[in-house]
Amino acid sequence: MGKQEDVARRIVEEFVRCDVKLIASLPDNWIAELISELDRDDRVRHVPVNREESAIGLCAGAYMGGMGSVALMGASGLMTVLYAITKINYSYEIPLLLVTTLRGAPGDHHKHHISNGLYLQPVLNAISLPYMIINEPEDLGTITRAYHHSRTFSRPTVVALTRDLLK
Amino acid sequence: MKYLDCFRFIASRRNNELVITSAGNSGQAWWEATRDTEASFYLDASMSLSTMFGSGLALALPHQKIWAFMGDGAFCMNPGMLMVERQLDLPNLVHFLVSNRGYGATSNADLPNAAHNDYSALARSMGLTRVFEFGELSELQTGFAQVVDPNVSGHTFVVLEVEPFSAADQKLEQPPFDAPELKYRFGRYVERTAGCNIFGYKL
Repeated sequence: MGKQEDVARRIVEEFVRCDVKLIASLPDNWIAELISELDRDDRVRHVPVNREESAIGLCAGAYMGGMGSVALMGASGLMTVLYAITKINYSYEIPLLLVTTLRGAPGDHHKHHISNGLYLQPVLNAISLPYMIINEPEDLGTITRAYHHSRTFSRPTVVALTRDLLK
Repeated sequence: MKYLDCFRFIASRRNNELVITSAGNSGQAWWEATRDTEASFYLDASMSLSTMFGSGLALALPHQKIWAFMGDGAFCMNPGMLMVERQLDLPNLVHFLVSNRGYGATSNADLPNAAHNDYSALARSMGLTRVFEFGELSELQTGFAQVVDPNVSGHTFVVLEVEPFSAADQKLEQPPFDAPELKYRFGRYVERTAGCNIFGYKL
């Protein structure tokens, strides 16, 4: 088993450990293997969505029906959902685990992600959205901690996955 | 058809459906028609996401009927939601698109291309087959049984062509809840009736 596949499987295991049943996603090249792994695993339902905001709505509804869920998206997608997160999750105090990619950080070869490198973390800090960065496979248990942190405090929590972890 | 007449009729045909309303007039109208404080989630602050919220709820509660209202102003911000709805094809979800051809909650401001938008055609183009459109109250009264047919096999999309809120309608009371109170009232109701665990602890 290659490194990418191993990491993808371990991430899915973390989701399952949290009793997550629904993962709503939009792709990013760094999480392509993870999305494939989700599609292969019948313990969870993977729902590809048309835009990232739809994932926020789906996960909020699932929560109100007692179903655990994760919104999975790239960093650029996360930058587009601030309205939905602040209006739904902050106003109604609805927990959400949001898993994203730490695009634009050192090691990212794509110049067009410079905006994410410059602004993603400052934006998360600006709206007081807690985030945890995972850079090593042995730290993947952070996903479970972040999920439960979100439930405890009735707020969204972000886990950002680095290129070194995923590629 | 008059906006409030439409909502009062639909409310009169409600059994135990959970209801999601959208930002703007649909929440006001549903509150006016029902004064429901438990089984309706007034998702006031989320243009274009009420039916995604309803879809998540319908996925989590497959034996529970869900009605989700959305204005066409919100719909036009995210019509691609229908791709997700078609893909999920949830038989327990009815998406009511309330078409007043304007931004009702913003003093009926103009909606782009309002006269030409064909929402039913848009839905069909994305593969939806259970598509209904009602422009008169009498049509809605006649056709509603088909909309809520309990034996359907897939997702239902309903376009309700209504007149915009009048100046008097705009003064109707908004659902008065603070958002967290609404979450708990609705969530506790769902826990009681569906037997699920949302908040992780029981009172």
